[in-house]
Amino acid sequence: MNDFYSLKLLDRMEGLIRRTGVDYRTLRLILQTKLTMDGRRTPTVMAANRKDTEASSGSPLRVHWIYLLFGLVLIPFVVVKGSYIFTMGLTFGLLMFLISTTLISDFSAVMLDLREKNILHTKPIDKRTLNMAKSIHILLYLMSLTLTIAGPSLLVSLFSQGVVFFLLYGAGIILLDCFILVFTALCYLVILRLFDGEKLKDIINYVQIVLTVGLTVGYQFVSRLVSFSLLDTSFTPDWWYYAIPPVWFAAPFEWFVGGNGNAATTALTLLALAVPLLLLAAYIRLMPMFERSLQKLAAEEAGGRDNGVLARRLSAFFCQNRQEATFFRFTWSMMKNERDFKLRTYPTVGLSMALPFIFILNIAQGSGGVSSLKSSPGYLAIYGTALLMMTVVQMLRYSVSYKGAWIYKALPLQPGALISRGVLKAAVLRLLLPVFAVEAVIFTVLFGPRIIPELGTALLALLLYSVICWRIFPQALPFAEKYEQASRKEFTGISFLLLFIMFGFGLLHYLSTRIPAGIVIYSVILAAANVWGWRSAFGNKTLQGERAAGAGV
Amino acid sequence: MNLGEEPVIEISGLWMNYSDRMVLRGIDLAVYRGQIIGYIGPNGAGKSTTVKIMLGLVEGYNGTVRIFGKDIKSGDATYKGRIGYVPEVAEMYDSLTAREYLTFIGELYGLPHEAAEAKARRLMALLDMERVYDKRIASYSKGMKQKVLLVSSMLHDPDILFLDEPLSGLDANSVMVVKEILATLAAKGKTIFYSSHIMDVVEKISSRIILLDGGELMADGTFAELQERSTEGTLESIFNRLTGFDQYRDIAGEFVAAVMDGEAG
Repeated sequence: MNDFYSLKLLDRMEGLIRRTGVDYRTLRLILQTKLTMDGRRTPTVMAANRKDTEASSGSPLRVHWIYLLFGLVLIPFVVVKGSYIFTMGLTFGLLMFLISTTLISDFSAVMLDLREKNILHTKPIDKRTLNMAKSIHILLYLMSLTLTIAGPSLLVSLFSQGVVFFLLYGAGIILLDCFILVFTALCYLVILRLFDGEKLKDIINYVQIVLTVGLTVGYQFVSRLVSFSLLDTSFTPDWWYYAIPPVWFAAPFEWFVGGNGNAATTALTLLALAVPLLLLAAYIRLMPMFERSLQKLAAEEAGGRDNGVLARRLSAFFCQNRQEATFFRFTWSMMKNERDFKLRTYPTVGLSMALPFIFILNIAQGSGGVSSLKSSPGYLAIYGTALLMMTVVQMLRYSVSYKGAWIYKALPLQPGALISRGVLKAAVLRLLLPVFAVEAVIFTVLFGPRIIPELGTALLALLLYSVICWRIFPQALPFAEKYEQASRKEFTGISFLLLFIMFGFGLLHYLSTRIPAGIVIYSVILAAANVWGWRSAFGNKTLQGERAAGAGV
Repeated sequence: MNLGEEPVIEISGLWMNYSDRMVLRGIDLAVYRGQIIGYIGPNGAGKSTTVKIMLGLVEGYNGTVRIFGKDIKSGDATYKGRIGYVPEVAEMYDSLTAREYLTFIGELYGLPHEAAEAKARRLMALLDMERVYDKRIASYSKGMKQKVLLVSSMLHDPDILFLDEPLSGLDANSVMVVKEILATLAAKGKTIFYSSHIMDVVEKISSRIILLDGGELMADGTFAELQERSTEGTLESIFNRLTGFDQYRDIAGEFVAAVMDGEAG
């Protein structure tokens, strides 16, 4: 086991940690083991006999490139002088958004982990140490994530704004991290207390989705600050400013750097300081209760009673081949039942539902009211739902019960094409189409019935896009790999490419509306491409076990 | 202190319910040094719940559980340092190698790093696991994982062992070795709490058999004592009778009929 840099940093704080009554030696040992494990990939069933040496790459503490990119975007905000409540509010808003969504989707599993019960809680370690180890484990990731995002702008701020700004920013980031972590944990605690068994797990799921969507929409509010604070040099906030945490964290800048010390900035600054600390105190107090309640998650489940009529009808209608239909139904029920899948996918479902409206909102604001929508091409925002397919296709390969994938090898199955098509069809019908349908209805109301034919065109494009997603991501058998944060990062490049393709489709659509009969031609081409895509994109490609598993490892 | 007289484990009036149903209904039990307890009962009888309560994994029970003479409700975890546990599900940090995992566990039990490593290696070598000692546990077969679990439960020379199906996946030779290990440990004064569904083994190695059904103790005694109380010859048939199960032939017959019935299944 290697010695981690982060642990050496932790050693500096040994005295402080010891003072809280924690057994530091054990704490360090647990953390060291966990970090070692995080850096490894559990080999999938198919890849079990691969060499061990190559698999030790991929520490989650490696730089997250995409976040670094976001971090660079933040730099201009810390260079600008004046109206700090706006620039820093925006900065903290973006930070909060990125950090919380990542925390919810990727570290919820760590927070709600039950595996360690059997292994760690049976050892002579007191609860305080165990809880501390868990918190620090999450905190380490949170810090590395935060540093990646905020690091560049933090560094720049030292030179562009001076030491006071730099220190305020640093402290603000730490408080923000505490705030996010504790707030999320407390949300979970409330749910754990209120609900039981199956319902509990479902509710957690929904809360995660709601939180993610809420953050997205909430972030829009922060950017609304523009119109207020740029006009007004003597900052006087509306009441709802107090409900937006990023504004709290921005207030001290207005106060100490901008020199606008008044009752409002003082109050907001106090909020920024007091709320995270109070929550932290409450969290430490409530942590044992959290752990106790966690046990509820282990309670036995009563199976669902769904008899699968819908899946059977749909599969009979959309799949000609028997094996394809089987995999359609299999995927259908896995997507329905596996919470892990929902946890990772549904926030994106929510996001892809919200995103088009955010686009539209911005258009409406820019060009004066909802009435102007009727003639605008804003409905093309419906291409935003493509985001959903990108995530789903990526996630379909993962499962908590990935070990069950031995059946692919043991059963007399035809090569991959039929499996893939059944799986993808199920994903499209279960997730893409409902979301699309809801959006289409709302868009029709907003933009008028003129867009209905064009929505049909967009649907064709999205269907084609689904196939493209499937082709571009490394091929894999469904639900056959263990989800690990590290492995997912390798798809960042592909995701970007797919994002561009999504914009490409939207752009083509827009251009085709500019030329006469263009949209008809575009639709015909799309229809033909769909027929070809769904027929042959899967055709000649076999999913050999080794290759499929190897692709994700 | 003479442990021979004081019970190592003392459970009295233990009740436990999970949200809607009672899992344990007033268990009273005293276990002494050197006993091998065969802890048996049908699925869902409450066996693992009892063990989990004793390990402090499950809270919210009624009644008292005293281990080494101390009430475990006090929250002091030090008693766990004298307990070894092999859970039913082979849950381990399987992305670690056996060396890493066992050293980690040994250290958690308070052994110094080098001592833990050396002892783990020695024990593993004795179980013929030296070859894979530095390979990831994830790549092990079921039996190999079981050996790691067994070693991890004994590294710290515990006074009580809780074993849940400890022989599962082991080959015949390893089974003999492990059975012998358990008998020898008991002879040296260790207490072993052995849950299993394999009645032949329980019958042979246990010095005392406890049968749990529906959260209640149905029988408690040596195998000979249980035999005296009933007409059946084997523990399996005693088990069947005490749990009120007698239609195994009918069920088996119907099952085979369904298997061979082509499409009907």
